[in-house]
Amino acid sequence: MTNQEKLVKAFSEGLGIEPGMVKDELTYNTIPQWDSTAHMMLIGALEREFDVMLDTDEIIDMSSVAKAKSILTQHQISF
Amino acid sequence: MNNLLLQGYAVTLRPIQSSDLEQLRQWRNSEPVRQQMLSQQTISVEQQNAWFSKVQRDPAQHHWVIEYKSRPIGSANIKALYASKLDEATTIEPGLYIGDPAYRQNIIAFAPTLLINDYCFNTLAASQLKAVVKASNQAAMNYNIKLGYKVHSNHDVCELILTKPAYEQATAMLKQLLSRN
Repeated sequence: MTNQEKLVKAFSEGLGIEPGMVKDELTYNTIPQWDSTAHMMLIGALEREFDVMLDTDEIIDMSSVAKAKSILTQHQISF
Repeated sequence: MNNLLLQGYAVTLRPIQSSDLEQLRQWRNSEPVRQQMLSQQTISVEQQNAWFSKVQRDPAQHHWVIEYKSRPIGSANIKALYASKLDEATTIEPGLYIGDPAYRQNIIAFAPTLLINDYCFNTLAASQLKAVVKASNQAAMNYNIKLGYKVHSNHDVCELILTKPAYEQATAMLKQLLSRN
């Protein structure tokens, strides 16, 4: 599985949305599914999928799919 | 006068200073913030100054600037209900807004609330917190329900009540997530 596919899987499972909805511009709280509870599930899904541990600032900054990619890139994960 | 600094969950709450007033007024008058408020009126400089001079001397309320990474992003407050001093109140009404557009759609909106709720329940004598929200403000309703609030009366303006056990149960995971560092 490519890193892009892993990212889509984590977002899709974490937020409970169709994979096709996972676009760079998708942002926290702009769809009913991405609320604070789902954000916690998303963080867990990303950490499992990419075997990383995110710190609080990264959890706060992860407010869109594009931001998630940027943060994961800092963990040596390329897209 | 409020000299209380609260820190945790990645944010700092510091007492409002006179140098903050214009920024706060601009945020408070901005459309996205005003829409959330019970009163939609804009605030003039004179009104803001009069408000600040009043709340500075009022032991029934505290007002803070919310800072994230040393940058002001909004404002939070607590008010004693049915008591003249916060430290005598068993019911407290918290409030906040995120003024900085960069942080409006962000989970950080929970951080200042966790901090003031902990303070109200663990340091002050509050047995319950009360939120008053317009029924049409679904975002604020959802936000409060995520914190463990239960709807107490449901009209055009809803009253929601939060007890400490409900708060602890609803926020345990969120608190862990926002205090990892």
